[in-house]
Amino acid sequence: MEKLLACAMDIGEQMVISGAEIYRVEESISRMCTSFGASRTDVFIITSNMTATVYTEDGRSFTQTRRITSSSTDYEKLHNLNRLSRRICAEKLTEEEIRKELDEAIHCKTYPFWLECLAYSATAGAFTLFFGGNLKELAVSLFAGLVVRLCLLLTEKTISGRFFSKFFSAAIATVIAYACVKLGILDDVDMVIIGNIMTLIPGVGLTNALRDLLVGDSVSGLLRLIEAVLIALAIAAGFFLVSVLGGFVL
Amino acid sequence: MKEALIQIISGFVGTVGFAIIVNIRGKRFLFTALGGLGAWALYLLLGLVLPGEPIRYFLVALVICIYSEIMARVLKTPTSTFLTTALISLVPGGSLYYTMSHALMGDYSSFFTRGIHTLKLASALALGIIVAMSAVKLIRRIGARRKEKQ
Repeated sequence: MEKLLACAMDIGEQMVISGAEIYRVEESISRMCTSFGASRTDVFIITSNMTATVYTEDGRSFTQTRRITSSSTDYEKLHNLNRLSRRICAEKLTEEEIRKELDEAIHCKTYPFWLECLAYSATAGAFTLFFGGNLKELAVSLFAGLVVRLCLLLTEKTISGRFFSKFFSAAIATVIAYACVKLGILDDVDMVIIGNIMTLIPGVGLTNALRDLLVGDSVSGLLRLIEAVLIALAIAAGFFLVSVLGGFVL
Repeated sequence: MKEALIQIISGFVGTVGFAIIVNIRGKRFLFTALGGLGAWALYLLLGLVLPGEPIRYFLVALVICIYSEIMARVLKTPTSTFLTTALISLVPGGSLYYTMSHALMGDYSSFFTRGIHTLKLASALALGIIVAMSAVKLIRRIGARRKEKQ
């Protein structure tokens, strides 16, 4: 039972990391433990910590906790984990089978890095056009999007901390925009910055915060909300810093 | 008309790019992209009858949220996959930027008008999701009760 609980907790932990709503994870763990034969399961999760206690038929109880430090949205991984947890409830897998499946679910296919760079570039460019940019602004924005992705990679590898990496990326995008104005390529910095803000903005965090709050997971919802607001402030700070300095240079 | 076309296409490309960033694949990728396309097309269509931006944001969020819930059931995957990605073009990034920009210039009256406008759009989006989620919950509960009776 103890080992099975550990499996369920590991699945839950990965689900939270890949961006699941809290109620989904609590429900999954609880259902998995019931299918393992627990007579009662108590799960409590907030975005950075999870605790679960299972009670067996013969009166024993096991408790485990997990500290969650990272988070990176990955819906393919989440889909696999979600499917795995349903399978466990339906088919009674053994511990080794679960471990193997979990390993497969975590190491799922991801898009190659160059495609991800391209996606950042395309998204930034697309939203520059979307908000009314012209072709010159589109070209600069495509370039800035690429640099932003490389920047995120660099900061993630060196200084871990989402706020700093977003701050730095926003600052770099603003620098590129101002540099292009200075060089006479662009007339205005606005559209390039808007396009790149769209790729950095914590939309997923905000939506998840809202969904958590709505189903009654107030603590998790508030934590996610605060995190999203802080990221937004970090982006704004990056923009402000460079703009104020840029104002002196221009 | 030309402007609308540019917006729909660029919004679609933006959604696709974002779907790649959050690693959505296969059939789910296709339906996320379709959702993103539909979201802005619907927003522009509603513009023919409703001039107010917030009310249109609300309605589009409502429709996309219901679409996400349905697709999540069909493709057996979490709702957020579709919801967070398809709504990306409705994120008021432009409005947010101008709010910051006004603050930077020290133009506080514009800052407040813009800021309140941004807040209105964000709340309309949130409200649309809230109403749709509650409706889905209610429908599920009624469905479950009916099954119990049988």
